[in-house]
Amino acid sequence: MTGRISTLGLIGKFAISLIAVVVVQGILAYRLRVFGYFDLPLILSVYYGFTMGRPIPSVIIGSAVGLMQDSMSGAPMGTNGFSKTLIGYLAAMAGSKFDVDLPLTRAIALFLFTVGDGVLVSILGQMTGVAPNAKLGSTLWTWLVSGAFNALLGMLMFGYHDRINHATSR
Amino acid sequence: MRTIVASKKPAWITLAVALVFHTLLLSVQSSKRADTSFLRGWLIDSIGTLEKVVDAPVEGIENVWKGYVGLVHVNRDNVKLQAENDQLRSELARRDEGALELTRLRQMMGMQAPEMGKTVAARIVGKSPSLTGQALTIDKGIRSGVQRDSTIVTRDGVVGRVISAGDYYSVVQLIIDSQSAVGFIVRSSRRLGILKGTGGNELELEYIDDDNDIKQGDEVITSGQDQIYPKGLTLGVVVFVGPKQGNFKVVRVRPSVNFGRLEEVLCMTEHLPEISTGQAQ
Repeated sequence: MTGRISTLGLIGKFAISLIAVVVVQGILAYRLRVFGYFDLPLILSVYYGFTMGRPIPSVIIGSAVGLMQDSMSGAPMGTNGFSKTLIGYLAAMAGSKFDVDLPLTRAIALFLFTVGDGVLVSILGQMTGVAPNAKLGSTLWTWLVSGAFNALLGMLMFGYHDRINHATSR
Repeated sequence: MRTIVASKKPAWITLAVALVFHTLLLSVQSSKRADTSFLRGWLIDSIGTLEKVVDAPVEGIENVWKGYVGLVHVNRDNVKLQAENDQLRSELARRDEGALELTRLRQMMGMQAPEMGKTVAARIVGKSPSLTGQALTIDKGIRSGVQRDSTIVTRDGVVGRVISAGDYYSVVQLIIDSQSAVGFIVRSSRRLGILKGTGGNELELEYIDDDNDIKQGDEVITSGQDQIYPKGLTLGVVVFVGPKQGNFKVVRVRPSVNFGRLEEVLCMTEHLPEISTGQAQ
Protein backbone atom coordinates (compact mmCIF):
# COMPACT_ATOMS: atom_id res chain seq x y z
CA MET A 1 0.00 0.00 0.00
CA THR A 2 2.80 2.38 0.99
CA GLY A 3 4.66 1.39 -2.17
CA ARG A 4 1.61 2.21 -4.31
CA ILE A 5 1.20 5.60 -2.64
CA SER A 6 4.86 6.46 -3.18
CA THR A 7 4.57 5.43 -6.86
CA LEU A 8 1.51 7.65 -7.27
CA GLY A 9 3.37 10.46 -5.53
CA LEU A 10 6.28 10.04 -7.92
CA ILE A 11 3.97 10.08 -10.97
CA GLY A 12 2.25 13.20 -9.55
CA LYS A 13 5.63 14.87 -9.06
CA PHE A 14 6.61 14.15 -12.66
CA ALA A 15 3.23 15.32 -14.01
CA ILE A 16 3.41 18.60 -12.08
CA SER A 17 6.97 19.29 -13.22
CA LEU A 18 6.05 18.57 -16.87
CA ILE A 19 3.05 20.91 -16.83
CA ALA A 20 4.97 23.57 -14.88
CA VAL A 21 7.81 23.55 -17.41
CA VAL A 22 5.47 24.08 -20.39
CA VAL A 23 3.50 26.81 -18.57
CA VAL A 24 6.65 28.65 -17.38
CA GLN A 25 8.24 28.40 -20.83
CA GLY A 26 5.08 29.87 -22.44
CA ILE A 27 4.86 32.78 -19.99
CA LEU A 28 8.57 33.63 -19.93
CA ALA A 29 8.89 33.45 -23.72
CA TYR A 30 6.01 35.95 -23.94
CA ARG A 31 7.28 38.30 -21.21
CA LEU A 32 11.02 38.11 -22.02
CA ARG A 33 11.86 37.83 -25.70
CA VAL A 34 15.25 36.22 -25.10
CA PHE A 35 13.56 33.30 -23.36
CA GLY A 36 12.24 32.18 -26.74
CA TYR A 37 15.71 30.71 -27.32
CA PHE A 38 15.50 28.46 -24.27
CA ASP A 39 13.82 25.06 -24.48
CA LEU A 40 12.85 24.13 -20.93
CA PRO A 41 11.00 20.95 -22.01
CA LEU A 42 14.21 19.71 -23.67
CA ILE A 43 16.31 20.54 -20.61
CA LEU A 44 13.77 18.70 -18.44
CA SER A 45 13.87 15.60 -20.68
CA VAL A 46 17.68 15.52 -20.55
CA TYR A 47 17.69 16.31 -16.83
CA TYR A 48 15.44 13.36 -15.94
CA GLY A 49 17.32 11.10 -18.36
CA PHE A 50 20.69 11.95 -16.85
CA THR A 51 19.69 12.00 -13.18
CA MET A 52 17.48 8.89 -13.21
CA GLY A 53 19.36 6.86 -15.80
CA ARG A 54 16.12 4.91 -16.37
CA PRO A 55 14.99 4.77 -20.02
CA ILE A 56 11.30 3.84 -19.51
CA PRO A 57 10.26 6.85 -17.38
CA SER A 58 12.51 9.09 -19.51
CA VAL A 59 10.71 7.97 -22.70
CA ILE A 60 7.30 8.63 -21.10
CA ILE A 61 8.40 12.04 -19.79
CA GLY A 62 9.87 13.06 -23.16
CA SER A 63 6.78 11.85 -24.99
CA ALA A 64 4.34 13.74 -22.74
CA VAL A 65 6.26 17.00 -22.64
CA GLY A 66 6.71 16.90 -26.42
CA LEU A 67 2.98 16.47 -26.99
CA MET A 68 2.25 19.43 -24.72
CA GLN A 69 4.76 21.51 -26.66
CA ASP A 70 3.12 20.53 -29.95
CA SER A 71 -0.34 21.51 -28.76
CA MET A 72 0.76 24.99 -27.67
CA SER A 73 3.01 25.73 -30.66
CA GLY A 74 0.60 24.72 -33.42
CA ALA A 75 3.07 22.17 -34.83
CA PRO A 76 1.61 18.84 -36.01
CA MET A 77 0.91 16.67 -32.94
CA GLY A 78 3.77 14.22 -32.58
CA THR A 79 6.59 16.37 -34.02
CA ASN A 80 8.13 17.43 -30.72
CA GLY A 81 6.69 14.29 -29.11
CA PHE A 82 8.79 12.07 -31.39
CA SER A 83 11.91 14.18 -30.92
CA LYS A 84 11.67 14.50 -27.12
CA THR A 85 10.92 10.76 -26.77
CA LEU A 86 14.16 9.97 -28.54
CA ILE A 87 16.07 12.59 -26.53
CA GLY A 88 14.70 11.21 -23.24
CA TYR A 89 15.79 7.70 -24.20
CA LEU A 90 19.24 8.72 -25.41
CA ALA A 91 19.82 10.89 -22.29
CA ALA A 92 18.85 7.98 -20.03
CA MET A 93 21.14 5.59 -21.91
CA ALA A 94 23.97 8.12 -21.77
CA GLY A 95 23.28 8.70 -18.08
CA SER A 96 23.58 4.99 -17.36
CA LYS A 97 26.63 4.29 -19.53
CA PHE A 98 28.78 7.40 -19.31
CA ASP A 99 29.93 9.76 -16.63
CA VAL A 100 27.56 12.69 -17.02
CA ASP A 101 28.45 14.31 -13.70
CA LEU A 102 31.01 16.63 -15.26
CA PRO A 103 29.56 20.08 -16.07
CA LEU A 104 31.36 20.19 -19.42
CA THR A 105 29.93 16.80 -20.48
CA ARG A 106 26.44 17.97 -19.56
CA ALA A 107 26.86 21.26 -21.43
CA ILE A 108 28.10 19.51 -24.59
CA ALA A 109 25.29 16.94 -24.36
CA LEU A 110 22.64 19.66 -23.97
CA PHE A 111 24.07 21.58 -26.92
CA LEU A 112 24.08 18.50 -29.14
CA PHE A 113 20.59 17.43 -28.03
CA THR A 114 19.27 20.93 -28.85
CA VAL A 115 20.75 20.93 -32.35
CA GLY A 116 19.59 17.32 -32.88
CA ASP A 117 16.08 18.27 -31.74
CA GLY A 118 16.03 21.20 -34.18
CA VAL A 119 17.15 19.00 -37.08
CA LEU A 120 14.66 16.22 -36.28
CA VAL A 121 11.71 18.60 -35.79
CA SER A 122 12.54 20.28 -39.13
CA ILE A 123 12.76 16.93 -40.95
CA LEU A 124 9.44 15.78 -39.46
CA GLY A 125 7.92 19.16 -40.42
CA GLN A 126 9.09 18.69 -44.03
CA MET A 127 7.67 15.15 -44.07
CA THR A 128 4.26 16.31 -42.83
CA GLY A 129 4.09 19.14 -45.34
CA VAL A 130 4.66 22.09 -43.03
CA ALA A 131 8.06 23.11 -44.35
CA PRO A 132 9.17 26.48 -42.94
CA ASN A 133 10.07 29.43 -45.23
CA ALA A 134 13.05 30.32 -43.03
CA LYS A 135 16.52 30.41 -44.59
CA LEU A 136 18.90 27.61 -43.60
CA GLY A 137 21.46 30.12 -42.30
CA SER A 138 19.07 31.80 -39.86
CA THR A 139 17.62 28.44 -38.77
CA LEU A 140 21.11 27.10 -38.09
CA TRP A 141 21.97 30.26 -36.15
CA THR A 142 18.82 29.87 -34.02
CA TRP A 143 19.73 26.25 -33.21
CA LEU A 144 23.28 27.22 -32.22
CA VAL A 145 22.17 30.12 -30.00
CA SER A 146 19.48 27.97 -28.45
CA GLY A 147 22.02 25.18 -27.90
CA ALA A 148 24.37 27.57 -26.09
CA PHE A 149 21.53 29.00 -23.94
CA ASN A 150 20.21 25.56 -23.05
CA ALA A 151 23.71 24.35 -22.16
CA LEU A 152 24.17 27.35 -19.85
CA LEU A 153 20.79 27.05 -18.14
CA GLY A 154 21.11 23.27 -17.95
CA MET A 155 24.48 23.56 -16.21
CA LEU A 156 22.93 25.87 -13.59
CA MET A 157 19.98 23.50 -13.08
CA PHE A 158 22.19 20.43 -12.81
CA GLY A 159 24.49 22.29 -10.43
CA TYR A 160 21.52 23.16 -8.25
CA HIS A 161 20.40 19.51 -8.33
CA ASP A 162 23.90 18.37 -7.29
CA ARG A 163 23.97 20.82 -4.37
CA ILE A 164 20.58 19.61 -3.10
CA ASN A 165 21.69 15.97 -3.46
CA HIS A 166 24.95 16.75 -1.68
CA ALA A 167 23.12 18.52 1.17
CA THR A 168 20.57 15.73 1.66
CA SER A 169 23.17 12.95 1.55
CA ARG A 170 25.16 14.46 4.46
CA MET B 1 27.97 6.73 -13.66
CA ARG B 2 24.59 5.30 -12.76
CA THR B 3 23.31 1.77 -13.09
CA ILE B 4 20.06 0.97 -14.81
CA VAL B 5 17.46 -0.21 -12.34
CA ALA B 6 16.49 -3.73 -13.36
CA SER B 7 13.25 -3.78 -15.31
CA LYS B 8 11.21 -6.74 -16.49
CA LYS B 9 10.42 -5.05 -19.81
CA PRO B 10 13.28 -4.00 -22.05
CA ALA B 11 13.44 -0.23 -22.48
CA TRP B 12 13.52 -0.40 -26.25
CA ILE B 13 9.95 -1.81 -26.32
CA THR B 14 8.69 1.34 -24.56
CA LEU B 15 10.74 3.47 -26.95
CA ALA B 16 9.36 1.62 -29.99
CA VAL B 17 5.75 1.92 -28.75
CA ALA B 18 6.17 5.66 -28.10
CA LEU B 19 7.80 6.31 -31.48
CA VAL B 20 5.15 4.29 -33.33
CA PHE B 21 2.43 6.26 -31.46
CA HIS B 22 3.93 9.61 -32.54
CA THR B 23 4.49 8.39 -36.11
CA LEU B 24 0.85 7.27 -36.35
CA LEU B 25 -0.27 10.60 -34.91
CA LEU B 26 1.75 12.48 -37.54
CA SER B 27 0.55 10.15 -40.27
CA VAL B 28 -3.17 10.58 -39.54
CA GLN B 29 -2.74 14.36 -39.47
CA SER B 30 -0.84 14.63 -42.75
CA SER B 31 -3.29 12.33 -44.55
CA LYS B 32 -6.24 14.04 -42.78
CA ARG B 33 -7.68 10.62 -41.95
CA ALA B 34 -8.45 11.47 -38.36
CA ASP B 35 -9.15 14.63 -36.42
CA THR B 36 -6.77 15.27 -33.53
CA SER B 37 -8.27 18.65 -32.66
CA PHE B 38 -10.01 17.21 -29.57
CA LEU B 39 -6.64 16.27 -28.04
CA ARG B 40 -5.06 19.58 -29.02
CA GLY B 41 -8.11 21.57 -27.86
CA TRP B 42 -8.10 19.81 -24.49
CA LEU B 43 -4.38 20.48 -23.97
CA ILE B 44 -4.73 24.13 -25.08
CA ASP B 45 -7.59 24.70 -22.61
CA SER B 46 -5.76 22.99 -19.73
CA ILE B 47 -2.36 24.65 -20.23
CA GLY B 48 -3.92 27.98 -21.27
CA THR B 49 -5.90 28.14 -18.01
CA LEU B 50 -2.74 27.51 -15.99
CA GLU B 51 -0.81 30.11 -17.99
CA LYS B 52 -3.50 32.69 -17.28
CA VAL B 53 -3.53 31.87 -13.55
CA VAL B 54 0.28 31.99 -13.24
CA ASP B 55 0.55 35.11 -15.42
CA ALA B 56 -2.09 37.04 -13.41
CA PRO B 57 0.28 38.15 -10.57
CA VAL B 58 2.94 39.13 -13.15
CA GLU B 59 0.37 41.24 -14.98
CA GLY B 60 -0.80 42.72 -11.65
CA ILE B 61 2.73 43.90 -10.82
CA GLU B 62 3.09 45.30 -14.33
CA ASN B 63 -0.21 47.20 -13.98
CA VAL B 64 0.86 48.67 -10.61
CA TRP B 65 4.11 49.80 -12.22
CA LYS B 66 2.31 51.34 -15.18
CA GLY B 67 -0.42 52.89 -13.00
CA TYR B 68 1.82 54.55 -10.40
CA VAL B 69 5.51 54.65 -11.24
CA GLY B 70 4.77 55.13 -14.92
CA LEU B 71 2.76 58.33 -14.23
CA VAL B 72 5.88 60.45 -13.71
CA HIS B 73 5.73 62.03 -17.18
CA VAL B 74 1.94 62.13 -17.44
CA ASN B 75 1.62 65.96 -17.44
CA ARG B 76 4.11 66.40 -20.28
CA ASP B 77 2.42 63.57 -22.24
CA ASN B 78 -0.99 65.16 -21.61
CA VAL B 79 0.01 68.45 -23.23
CA LYS B 80 1.49 66.60 -26.19
CA LEU B 81 -1.62 64.41 -26.60
CA GLN B 82 -3.94 67.45 -26.37
CA ALA B 83 -2.15 69.05 -29.31
CA GLU B 84 -2.24 65.77 -31.22
CA ASN B 85 -5.96 65.42 -30.44
CA ASP B 86 -6.75 68.87 -31.89
CA GLN B 87 -4.86 68.04 -35.05
CA LEU B 88 -6.61 64.64 -35.39
CA ARG B 89 -10.06 66.22 -34.88
CA SER B 90 -9.58 68.54 -37.85
CA GLU B 91 -8.22 65.67 -39.95
CA LEU B 92 -11.17 63.46 -38.95
CA ALA B 93 -13.67 66.10 -40.06
CA ARG B 94 -11.95 66.22 -43.44
CA ARG B 95 -11.91 62.41 -43.73
CA ASP B 96 -15.60 62.19 -42.77
CA GLU B 97 -16.39 64.20 -45.85
CA GLY B 98 -14.28 61.86 -47.96
CA ALA B 99 -15.95 58.75 -46.46
CA LEU B 100 -19.42 60.12 -47.18
CA GLU B 101 -18.44 60.83 -50.74
CA LEU B 102 -17.04 57.29 -51.09
CA THR B 103 -20.29 55.79 -49.73
CA ARG B 104 -22.32 57.79 -52.24
CA LEU B 105 -20.05 56.70 -55.11
CA ARG B 106 -20.22 53.04 -53.98
CA GLN B 107 -24.02 53.23 -53.90
CA MET B 108 -24.04 54.72 -57.40
CA MET B 109 -21.78 51.93 -58.73
CA GLY B 110 -23.58 49.14 -56.82
CA MET B 111 -20.46 48.14 -54.89
CA GLN B 112 -20.39 46.68 -51.37
CA ALA B 113 -18.24 48.36 -48.73
CA PRO B 114 -15.59 46.12 -47.14
CA GLU B 115 -16.60 45.31 -43.58
CA MET B 116 -14.56 44.22 -40.62
CA GLY B 117 -17.25 41.88 -39.26
CA LYS B 118 -17.79 41.02 -35.60
CA THR B 119 -14.77 41.04 -33.31
CA VAL B 120 -14.03 39.89 -29.78
CA ALA B 121 -11.18 41.23 -27.62
CA ALA B 122 -8.69 38.70 -26.24
CA ARG B 123 -5.70 38.84 -23.94
CA ILE B 124 -2.42 37.09 -24.69
CA VAL B 125 -1.53 34.60 -21.97
CA GLY B 126 1.55 32.90 -23.39
CA LYS B 127 3.87 32.20 -26.28
CA SER B 128 4.79 29.03 -28.13
CA PRO B 129 6.94 26.81 -25.89
CA SER B 130 8.73 25.52 -28.98
CA LEU B 131 11.77 27.01 -30.72
CA THR B 132 10.37 26.51 -34.20
CA GLY B 133 6.96 28.19 -34.07
CA GLN B 134 6.03 31.86 -33.69
CA ALA B 135 2.67 31.38 -31.98
CA LEU B 136 0.72 32.99 -29.13
CA THR B 137 -1.96 31.68 -26.80
CA ILE B 138 -5.06 33.90 -26.35
CA ASP B 139 -7.79 33.60 -23.74
CA LYS B 140 -10.70 33.23 -26.18
CA GLY B 141 -11.86 30.04 -27.86
CA ILE B 142 -14.78 28.38 -29.61
CA ARG B 143 -17.20 29.46 -26.86
CA SER B 144 -16.47 33.12 -27.75
CA GLY B 145 -16.96 32.51 -31.47
CA VAL B 146 -13.27 32.09 -32.33
CA GLN B 147 -12.55 29.30 -34.80
CA ARG B 148 -9.71 27.97 -36.91
CA ASP B 149 -8.51 30.62 -39.41
CA SER B 150 -10.14 33.50 -37.52
CA THR B 151 -8.10 36.62 -38.29
CA ILE B 152 -6.35 38.29 -35.35
CA VAL B 153 -5.69 42.03 -35.57
CA THR B 154 -4.76 45.09 -33.52
CA ARG B 155 -5.37 48.72 -34.43
CA ASP B 156 -1.91 48.69 -36.06
CA GLY B 157 -2.64 45.81 -38.43
CA VAL B 158 -2.68 42.04 -38.86
CA VAL B 159 -1.25 39.85 -36.10
CA GLY B 160 -2.01 36.40 -37.54
CA ARG B 161 -4.64 33.69 -37.66
CA VAL B 162 -5.97 31.04 -35.31
CA ILE B 163 -4.46 27.63 -36.06
CA SER B 164 -5.96 25.67 -33.16
CA ALA B 165 -8.97 26.56 -31.06
CA GLY B 166 -9.98 25.02 -27.75
CA ASP B 167 -13.24 25.85 -25.98
CA TYR B 168 -11.74 28.73 -24.00
CA TYR B 169 -8.24 29.29 -25.42
CA SER B 170 -6.72 29.40 -28.90
CA VAL B 171 -3.28 29.29 -30.49
CA VAL B 172 -2.50 32.06 -32.99
CA GLN B 173 0.11 31.71 -35.73
CA LEU B 174 1.83 35.10 -36.18
CA ILE B 175 2.40 36.44 -39.70
CA ILE B 176 6.15 36.45 -38.95
CA ASP B 177 6.09 32.66 -38.38
CA SER B 178 8.20 30.82 -40.93
CA GLN B 179 5.16 28.81 -42.08
CA SER B 180 2.87 31.82 -42.55
CA ALA B 181 1.80 33.14 -45.96
CA VAL B 182 -0.57 36.06 -46.61
CA GLY B 183 -1.94 37.42 -49.89
CA PHE B 184 -0.99 41.09 -50.26
CA ILE B 185 -1.53 44.19 -52.39
CA VAL B 186 0.89 47.12 -52.52
CA ARG B 187 -1.39 50.03 -51.64
CA SER B 188 0.05 52.50 -54.16
CA SER B 189 0.77 50.30 -57.19
CA ARG B 190 -1.97 47.64 -56.55
CA ARG B 191 0.54 44.83 -57.25
CA LEU B 192 -0.56 41.44 -55.89
CA GLY B 193 1.57 38.70 -54.36
CA ILE B 194 2.37 36.49 -51.39
CA LEU B 195 3.96 37.74 -48.18
CA LYS B 196 5.82 35.09 -46.20
CA GLY B 197 7.09 35.00 -42.64
CA THR B 198 10.77 34.26 -42.09
CA GLY B 199 10.72 33.30 -38.43
CA GLY B 200 12.57 36.56 -37.65
CA ASN B 201 11.26 40.10 -37.22
CA GLU B 202 10.65 40.79 -40.91
CA LEU B 203 8.53 39.41 -43.73
CA GLU B 204 9.47 38.71 -47.34
CA LEU B 205 7.56 39.31 -50.55
CA GLU B 206 7.63 36.26 -52.82
CA TYR B 207 8.13 36.13 -56.59
CA ILE B 208 8.94 39.79 -57.19
CA ASP B 209 10.65 40.29 -60.57
CA ASP B 210 12.01 43.36 -62.37
CA ASP B 211 8.58 44.27 -63.74
CA ASN B 212 7.39 45.08 -60.23
CA ASP B 213 7.84 48.74 -59.35
CA ILE B 214 7.94 48.10 -55.61
CA LYS B 215 10.04 50.62 -53.73
CA GLN B 216 11.11 51.31 -50.17
CA GLY B 217 8.33 52.90 -48.08
CA ASP B 218 5.46 51.27 -49.99
CA GLU B 219 2.59 50.19 -47.73
CA VAL B 220 1.44 46.58 -48.00
CA ILE B 221 -2.14 45.51 -47.18
CA THR B 222 -4.04 42.20 -47.32
CA SER B 223 -5.52 41.26 -50.70
CA GLY B 224 -8.19 38.87 -49.40
CA GLN B 225 -7.24 36.38 -52.12
CA ASP B 226 -5.95 33.79 -49.64
CA GLN B 227 -9.56 33.39 -48.40
CA ILE B 228 -8.35 33.74 -44.79
CA TYR B 229 -7.48 37.39 -44.20
CA PRO B 230 -10.10 39.96 -45.24
CA LYS B 231 -9.06 42.58 -47.77
CA GLY B 232 -7.62 45.94 -46.76
CA LEU B 233 -5.90 45.21 -43.44
CA THR B 234 -2.48 46.77 -42.90
CA LEU B 235 0.45 44.33 -43.03
CA GLY B 236 3.53 46.53 -43.04
CA VAL B 237 5.94 48.75 -44.97
CA VAL B 238 8.60 47.78 -47.51
CA VAL B 239 11.99 48.44 -45.90
CA PHE B 240 14.37 46.77 -48.34
CA VAL B 241 14.36 46.11 -52.07
CA GLY B 242 17.43 44.13 -53.02
CA PRO B 243 18.90 43.16 -56.39
CA LYS B 244 17.75 40.07 -58.25
CA GLN B 245 18.86 36.75 -56.73
CA GLY B 246 18.10 34.07 -59.29
CA ASN B 247 14.82 34.99 -60.93
CA PHE B 248 13.38 37.23 -58.25
CA LYS B 249 14.24 40.25 -56.13
CA VAL B 250 14.59 40.13 -52.35
CA VAL B 251 11.97 42.45 -50.85
CA ARG B 252 11.64 42.75 -47.08
CA VAL B 253 8.69 44.19 -45.19
CA ARG B 254 8.62 45.44 -41.60
CA PRO B 255 5.30 44.41 -39.98
CA SER B 256 3.09 47.27 -38.78
CA VAL B 257 2.46 45.39 -35.53
CA ASN B 258 5.14 45.39 -32.83
CA PHE B 259 5.03 41.73 -31.82
CA GLY B 260 7.23 42.34 -28.81
CA ARG B 261 4.64 44.59 -27.19
CA LEU B 262 1.40 42.76 -27.86
CA GLU B 263 -0.96 42.45 -24.90
CA GLU B 264 -4.50 42.55 -26.25
CA VAL B 265 -5.77 41.63 -29.70
CA LEU B 266 -9.06 41.53 -31.60
CA CYS B 267 -10.34 38.24 -33.01
CA MET B 268 -12.55 38.51 -36.07
CA THR B 269 -15.26 36.00 -35.26
CA GLU B 270 -17.32 36.48 -38.39
CA HIS B 271 -16.02 35.10 -41.65
CA LEU B 272 -16.60 37.67 -44.34
CA PRO B 273 -18.25 36.82 -47.64
CA GLU B 274 -15.94 36.22 -50.57
CA ILE B 275 -14.44 39.39 -51.98
CA SER B 276 -16.44 40.39 -55.04
CA THR B 277 -14.53 40.81 -58.27
CA GLY B 278 -15.90 44.35 -58.50
CA GLN B 279 -13.79 45.35 -55.53
CA ALA B 280 -10.54 43.84 -56.69
CA GLN B 281 -8.55 46.09 -58.94
